[in-house]
Amino acid sequence: MTKEQINCEQALKQILDFIDQELGEHDRAAMAQHLHTCKSCFSRMEFERRLKEKVGALRDEEVPSQLGARIKGLLKSF
Amino acid sequence: MAVSKKVFEDQVLGLLGRLQGVAHRLTRNQADAEDLVAETVARAWRALNTLESEQAFRAWIFRILNNTFISNLRSAGARPQLDPTECGEAQEDEGDFSVFEQMHQPFLLWFSNPEQEFLDKLLREDLDRALAALPDCYRVVVIMSDLQEFSYAEIAETLAIPIGTVRSRLARARSALQKVLWQQAQTYGLQNAPGARPESAARVAPESKGNVR
Repeated sequence: MTKEQINCEQALKQILDFIDQELGEHDRAAMAQHLHTCKSCFSRMEFERRLKEKVGALRDEEVPSQLGARIKGLLKSF
Repeated sequence: MAVSKKVFEDQVLGLLGRLQGVAHRLTRNQADAEDLVAETVARAWRALNTLESEQAFRAWIFRILNNTFISNLRSAGARPQLDPTECGEAQEDEGDFSVFEQMHQPFLLWFSNPEQEFLDKLLREDLDRALAALPDCYRVVVIMSDLQEFSYAEIAETLAIPIGTVRSRLARARSALQKVLWQQAQTYGLQNAPGARPESAARVAPESKGNVR
């Protein structure tokens, strides 16, 4: 099957959908093919993907001891 | 009931650090975050009959956390920033700021990569401060997408907005986040010296907070 070619302008519009895994199979394949051949768009995608990853790392935090005790007490009361 | 009390407890305690981390980013306040986590756990226990399976626990309890936060925010009334007009979504120029475009130098591709160096130098506290500077409606979608890894459809359902609005709001939110990070970097000269981050770059002047809107 021949994949439809997309240009840089179309690729840039879809970069966030691509890193968020929101593209359908066909669009994802076309995007992957473009990124394989365009270093500039690949660099942009890598920048956005790494920034998303770094922001995502804020999700985990050490549990304050008072919160741990509070939740354990709450669970015990159920 | 899809899970026993013992499984519920194990799941909650196993996810506590993540519930705390997400709640802290949502509320921007340690005490409020702890209250939000406790309220979420209490609500989850009461709604246990809505959990379909143990495998669905994580997404299920984070949905409850998001709904509890949004409900508290709306009932508080004092910070109705989930409203798009409050968030400045009418402004057309807000979705196009990119640190990459500020820093990328195509002719240096083979020798240097300043935008990647910029990312390398970002500390957790830089990102935390930039995220906290965003208005609620932007911060919430970034947290749901990047921290909780929810799909656009799940975010749309939680916020009761169309998927297209999630997509455009997320683009604006990420642009605003990059603008704050760029402003922080400019304050400390990071973009001029990508190879040498000054010690002071870990600190941010109070005036750089909260000026995104």
